[in-house]
Amino acid sequence: MIKVTIKCFSQVKYAFGKDELNLELETGTSTLELENIIREKAKGKLDTVSLRIALNQKYIPIQTELKDGDEVAFIPPVQGG
Amino acid sequence: MIITPKELYARISEFTVIDVRPEIQRSEFPMDGVDTIISKNGSIPNIEGLKVLVCQFGIVTEGMIIENELYDTYSLLGGAQAWIEFQSKKEDLSRWSRQTVLPEIGLDGQKKLMDGMVAIVGMGGLGCPAAQSLVTAGIGELVLIDGDDVELSNLHRQMLHGEDDIGKKKVVSAKESLSKINALTSIESIDVYLDEQYGLDLIQNCDVVIDATDNIETRQLIDRFSKESNIPMVYGGLYRWEGQVAVLNVNGSPGYRELFPEPPSGGDTCADAGVLGMLPNIIGNIQALEAVKLIIGIEPNLVGKLLMYDGMNHSTQIIKL
Repeated sequence: MIKVTIKCFSQVKYAFGKDELNLELETGTSTLELENIIREKAKGKLDTVSLRIALNQKYIPIQTELKDGDEVAFIPPVQGG
Repeated sequence: MIITPKELYARISEFTVIDVRPEIQRSEFPMDGVDTIISKNGSIPNIEGLKVLVCQFGIVTEGMIIENELYDTYSLLGGAQAWIEFQSKKEDLSRWSRQTVLPEIGLDGQKKLMDGMVAIVGMGGLGCPAAQSLVTAGIGELVLIDGDDVELSNLHRQMLHGEDDIGKKKVVSAKESLSKINALTSIESIDVYLDEQYGLDLIQNCDVVIDATDNIETRQLIDRFSKESNIPMVYGGLYRWEGQVAVLNVNGSPGYRELFPEPPSGGDTCADAGVLGMLPNIIGNIQALEAVKLIIGIEPNLVGKLLMYDGMNHSTQIIKL
């Protein structure tokens, strides 16, 4: 198992009511699989929201294997101005 | 009291000018065109009549006047630096002395700003503070692009518009407010929404385009024009208590399309999601700051990075794109 920290922004933060989530995942879990887990946990609140993923403060391709201690941010587009 | 180089030049016969700078500064930056008395060890000679104290940047002398309660004595705004510039070009830059004293800006940076041209797309929550900061900083030209009218619900965050402006075009109301701040900035108000047909023409001669819109479609359009014309785009976006800023399309650096690939969805507008009034003013000012850095050439900046700010807990995060 690995432990990862999820940084929550904008709609993701409001979906969970938290800035940060700490999750324990199967070893070998990818960022795409984590996104699916997050969407499922949000119970429909993120269904229409597109998300970009940053791993350890850096944008990454969607399929990257996570390691123990990673910090993952899901970043939605924000429209307001 | 303070006096500008231009005012001193016009009334030079009325004043005794006292140079309080150390010898090394006096010899490196001589004050041509005016007879000065040298202050010994920072003391102010007891001379009748009106006096002007001069230091290098005009800050030391303002302090001396307050400290010694010299109410009949003036400090030269911007100091010897501003006087020398005025003597060489007859251009008075002393009003910007508080920022030209910064080594990263200086007179050269100020001149770049005064020759600079910025387009701002959207004159709402982000556009108002961005425009205000650029005008106060002395930007040469602004192009304001927005087809919208001022509404009552805008006023809690859009500080260039007031109650009497409701129903006016936002670009007209903004220009009226901005012109009162700094008449030297040339402001062009274009009361249309940026579109495919004319958008590129509107921003083409600018050094920077600030994305202060409230919808993703226009952001994508600005991104395309920015890429095509190689004009950097300073993106800003808001969601409730949070804001994002990124500097995009600088010599091939990532653009909005790389930030949020098509088709983005789920981004609520301020009308849908709500926004705290202070938030756009913080984010719009960061956009103006990045525009100033681009024009002057100051690094580090937000090229290739996404800044995320949360006004609730004041956390910031910078993501590499």
